[in-house]
Amino acid sequence: MSTVAPPSRRPMDPAVLVARDQEDVLVGNEIIRHKLSSRVLHWVVAVTFFGCVFTGMPIWTPVFGWMAHLFGGLTVCRVLHPWLGVAFFLSVLFEIFDWASDMRFRSDEKGWWGPKLIRYMRWEEVDDENVGKYNGGQKFFFWTAGLGALGLLLSGLMMWFPQSFPKILMQLAYLVHDATFILFMVAIIFHIYLGTVAEPGTFRSMTRGTVTRKWARLHHPGWYRQVTGEDPRRP
Amino acid sequence: MSLDIRRSSASVWGSASGMRTAQVVSKYIDTTTCIGCKACEVACQEWNDLGPVATEQVGTYQTLPTLHAEFWNLIRFNERDFDGGLAWLMRKDQCMHCDEPGCLAACPAPGAIVQYANGIVDVNPDQCIGCKYCETGCPFDVPRFSATTGKMAKCTLCVDRVSVGLEPACIKACPTGCLHFGTKQDMLELAKGRVQQLKGNGFAQAAVYDPQGVHGTSVITVLAHGDHPEYYDLPVDPHVPWGVKLWKTIVRPLGAIAIFGAVIGAFGHYMNHGRKGVKGADAHDANLPDA
Amino acid sequence: MASLAATFGRGAMTNGWVDIKNADVILAMGGNPAENHPCGFKWFIEAKKTRGAKLVAVDPRFTRTAAVADLYSPIRAGSDIAYLLGIIRYAIETGRFHKEYVQLFTNGPYLIGEKYGFDDGLFTGFDDATKTYDKTNWGYEADPKTKAYAVDKTMENPRCVFQLLKKHVERYTPETVARICGTPKETFLKVCEIVTSTGNAQRCGTITYALGWTQHSTGVQIIRAAAMLQLLLGNVGRPGGGVNAFRGHSNIQGATDMAGTFEILPGYLKTPAGPQQTLKDYLEAATPTTLNKQAWASMNYWQNYPKFMASLLKATYGKNATKDNEFGYAWLPKVDGNYSWMYIYDDMYRGSSKRLGADEPAPEGLITFGMNPMGIGPNVPKMVNALSKLKWLVVGENYEIETATFWKAPKEYGGPDPSKIPTEVFQLPASGFAEKDGTFTNSARWLQWKWKAVDPPGNAKTDQEILARIFLAVRDLYKKEGGALPEQVLNVTWSYSNPAAPDLGEVLKEINGKALVDIPDPKDKTKMIRTAGQQLENFGQLQDDGSTACGNWLHLGVYTEAGNNAQRRSTADPTGLGMYPNWTFSWPANRRIMYNRASADAEGKAWDPTRPGIVWNGEKWVGDVPDIKPDSPPGEYGAFIMNAEGVGRLFAAALNDGPFPEHYEAVEAIIQNPLHPKVTSNPATKKFSSDKDVYGKPDQFPLVCTTYRLTEHYHYWTKHTEVLNQLQPGFFVEIPEAYAQKQGIANGSKVRVTSARGSIEGVAMVTKRLRPLQVDGKELIQIGFPIHWGYSAGDTGHTGPLANFLTPSAMDPNTWTPEFKTFLVKLEKA
Repeated sequence: MSTVAPPSRRPMDPAVLVARDQEDVLVGNEIIRHKLSSRVLHWVVAVTFFGCVFTGMPIWTPVFGWMAHLFGGLTVCRVLHPWLGVAFFLSVLFEIFDWASDMRFRSDEKGWWGPKLIRYMRWEEVDDENVGKYNGGQKFFFWTAGLGALGLLLSGLMMWFPQSFPKILMQLAYLVHDATFILFMVAIIFHIYLGTVAEPGTFRSMTRGTVTRKWARLHHPGWYRQVTGEDPRRP
Repeated sequence: MSLDIRRSSASVWGSASGMRTAQVVSKYIDTTTCIGCKACEVACQEWNDLGPVATEQVGTYQTLPTLHAEFWNLIRFNERDFDGGLAWLMRKDQCMHCDEPGCLAACPAPGAIVQYANGIVDVNPDQCIGCKYCETGCPFDVPRFSATTGKMAKCTLCVDRVSVGLEPACIKACPTGCLHFGTKQDMLELAKGRVQQLKGNGFAQAAVYDPQGVHGTSVITVLAHGDHPEYYDLPVDPHVPWGVKLWKTIVRPLGAIAIFGAVIGAFGHYMNHGRKGVKGADAHDANLPDA
Repeated sequence: MASLAATFGRGAMTNGWVDIKNADVILAMGGNPAENHPCGFKWFIEAKKTRGAKLVAVDPRFTRTAAVADLYSPIRAGSDIAYLLGIIRYAIETGRFHKEYVQLFTNGPYLIGEKYGFDDGLFTGFDDATKTYDKTNWGYEADPKTKAYAVDKTMENPRCVFQLLKKHVERYTPETVARICGTPKETFLKVCEIVTSTGNAQRCGTITYALGWTQHSTGVQIIRAAAMLQLLLGNVGRPGGGVNAFRGHSNIQGATDMAGTFEILPGYLKTPAGPQQTLKDYLEAATPTTLNKQAWASMNYWQNYPKFMASLLKATYGKNATKDNEFGYAWLPKVDGNYSWMYIYDDMYRGSSKRLGADEPAPEGLITFGMNPMGIGPNVPKMVNALSKLKWLVVGENYEIETATFWKAPKEYGGPDPSKIPTEVFQLPASGFAEKDGTFTNSARWLQWKWKAVDPPGNAKTDQEILARIFLAVRDLYKKEGGALPEQVLNVTWSYSNPAAPDLGEVLKEINGKALVDIPDPKDKTKMIRTAGQQLENFGQLQDDGSTACGNWLHLGVYTEAGNNAQRRSTADPTGLGMYPNWTFSWPANRRIMYNRASADAEGKAWDPTRPGIVWNGEKWVGDVPDIKPDSPPGEYGAFIMNAEGVGRLFAAALNDGPFPEHYEAVEAIIQNPLHPKVTSNPATKKFSSDKDVYGKPDQFPLVCTTYRLTEHYHYWTKHTEVLNQLQPGFFVEIPEAYAQKQGIANGSKVRVTSARGSIEGVAMVTKRLRPLQVDGKELIQIGFPIHWGYSAGDTGHTGPLANFLTPSAMDPNTWTPEFKTFLVKLEKA
């Protein structure tokens, strides 16, 4: 029977340690994909987003009225929602500053909204071995999400203070808030789907912060080459 | 007398409670005999325990620029030049109690705005969440948010009085008899009679303002210049805002479908394509290591 | 009311509020009934809706009344006489007047003596030194044979009243009216046409007015002109007709009935004058007679004056009033001059009460109840300085009013430094109207009982308790220490169950009066019409021998053996005309429409059978309570029983400034009188001459200004009420849009209005409702502002300038009502 050292005395997992403040480095067989601060920021965005979703959807339609019980009723939702919305927008803003440099489109990344996306979802190769840390779809999602957050904020602020805006704009605000939310929600569902079951090995990048070489080779060959200096096509 | 409900806000399925039929009631406001004395303003506040509101003289006889959470009944004063001289138009502004209430349509809180079988549209503060959607939904710019209560407030057509057989407080207080209350049918008769009189008296355009865009209202108004409701700060053709309609009847159900659809779509995608980078039967084996 | 009394015989609204619904035409002029009498205004609306009545509003401003009128006519403030005489001229020229009525019921056919004349703005008999007229110049012509009134039924005689009137109004052509009043000629002619459409038997119209007519230096004559117009059109005494004076307060009619002013005793009996040292002298002077002191076709009801007076004295002095001491007549004060309250303040200010030669010191103390002189009098700077000279001031009020705090009035009102004011002020907390029982006598002469709604707060007491306690304390002092003229105080009867707080039901009973001994029936001496101690039923039962006591003969019938009739609330309406005979009690004798004999023609048939006042059924008059001996057949007596000659007066010698009205400019005249530049303003106007009584000229003060009230407020005390402050939060100045644009005055900005008396600041209300007028060939600007504000508003913070800071102390020569409605100002951006 082997003895296990008490956790405090166990040496820190080097990958986790490095992932606290570094990215795009190889530690053992793992590549650090997201440093701790980015991960925390992502989860803050996620929590505030779902806070908004669960406080907003019961107000949106009584079909989701049950969600209000999570917070103690619709009125609580009404009070929380705008503040959570502001928090969501601010965290998205931070995230944008955090990731913006990685999210610059390359010239060959056009057309992700269309044929490329469909091809991608068929699990076909898109952009081949040139896919960097983020593929065009991810970049597109990133910027769209940022824009959506801005749309939600602006329309939300108007809905918060309806007397300060002309009626016609108010009607638009509701539509913008709704439409943005719906698109956002659809995108998020796919974001989660892709980040969990559809693309195994992805979720750990947002928890542990690392991905395997194999994962990186498969999904982001360009990035793999950049980090490891190895040819992604070589098995 | 308990009041049967015809419609209730944010109900997913059937909200009418009524086994009994009730006659639709209505106020009838005759602007041509209104002297703007504001007795109705005071009666409304006194009966409903509202106000007083802080006001200031800014160059008008009108008490406030618009309605207020503590001021549900406002006489609007408008001066207007005509060929024949000047008109000082006074109109009682208040909730119109639409047959098709935009506020109720916009309201997201189940049961927070109800329309009783007798046509009265009322805010139920118990259910109201203070989201202000009804402000946008209302084509007459009536509901107001009360910072004190966190709820919306507007004229109740004195539902508490009406339900025990009394006329609304404003009607009771009106000294000239320019305000009437009764069944909608009776009020329309009266109003039409008055319009005929006015037509005979040189107001060829006199009309009853009972806008059909909202299927009529339970507050009908006789206007000497019936072809120009805007002279009285009334919308020419009020209806539930297209934004609210679009949003409630199309965008919202489509959205719900889209969201459920996305979940189903993702699931379908998984069934069809499995995991990325994992081929064959393994693609659907959840126990496989992640590449 | 002086003009109505001079014309018809009684000084009150002729018909009543409800009766307005019977009118075909309503001329609302000199008042803004929708604004100031919104509850009564329902009957205007009723007439419009049920009869299709035409409502004509004539006002310097487009008012709330104008807003619902069929026709609005602008008019220059204070030019109403020209306007009304213009309508009279139109009626006579076009024949659109009720000739038969005029012949039957007015003094139109009566001849006037040769001494009467009118030339260049002055009637005959004017004394320039005293600024008064010798009214004996305006007497009737006596028939050479009978010495009775000379009458020409055809009204052709050039000396008959009708012809004199025709001649007098000849000058008031539509062009002249337009020139003087600033009213477009077409509008004026439209008004004439509508108003004179009632000058016949079939149709009937009413004229309503209020303080917009009374508060002028020509106020009484404006109302005279209206009363004459109504006589000419045959609209007096008929349902739907009359001259309907709207009183400014809920109980001002009651106050006047009960001797609200110095020159009258209760029931409009006259205050004894200095020379009338005995009751006999007094009665001789006060009781009117016909021209030849012989019987005439007139009841001359005032011939019962001695009965009214004896009964009043019995009610006042009780057992102390005996036949031998002329019922205590000697104890009544005799006046030697004008003691109208404005004069008393003038005395206070001047420090002297000089009257008819006797030099007396000014009052050193003042008791003021239910009145706020600092607010309601003109020329506030004089008011504050007058009060500052008092040793003591007692104010009985439910709020701390400006008068009680005159010593802390803002500096600009020009009062002395508070440390230099010797006045000791006592404010006695009094109850408000809802905190006490009693009656309100409304404009329609209804004495309506009201019941206390709530108890007065804190130590507040009812007015009668405060007054009773002062009286009892003073009487005790007299008993103990004696003093000047003790009889006046000690002989007053004071027999209330609770002497310190008399029950007002008991007081009303006393006002009604009772028989002191058994009163035999004059027709059958074996029968008694009243037994000793019984309440009297009507003033026909009053006696001049001291056997009856009555506090006010006009109110007789209000509290009979049947009980307190002011509490009656029956809505039964047997005539269908809204007379409601069993709703409260209406003086005189529960009559709803005064002079109703004139509602029927010579045979006693109703002019308009759909609207009968009273009709002769062969034996007696039926309908309303007849204003004639009930069983006297048509033709026996004239329709105006209070006038000695029995007819309504188109020509009235009773007033101090002329038997006919004449257009005069306001005391602060914006133009010279276009008719007679030498006599611009009313020559008999009363003005004061202290250093504070200053008047402005148009070169310095080029705008005409008027003052008024708002629906939302009541006088100066609702600024203590937050609900009402909310509706009208503060003082404002209404300015014509065209003028404001020229001057660069923006709506809602601050402006300063200055008159010769002072200067106030307010929010500009730039409006289309005031328009520049073309007057005498020039553009004329009128502005206006409401009263209601002052420096004392409790904790509400809703203070504002006193409107009367700017108004002049110029008065009508008959009623001494100040000219609040027309004065000169200048306007600047503040």
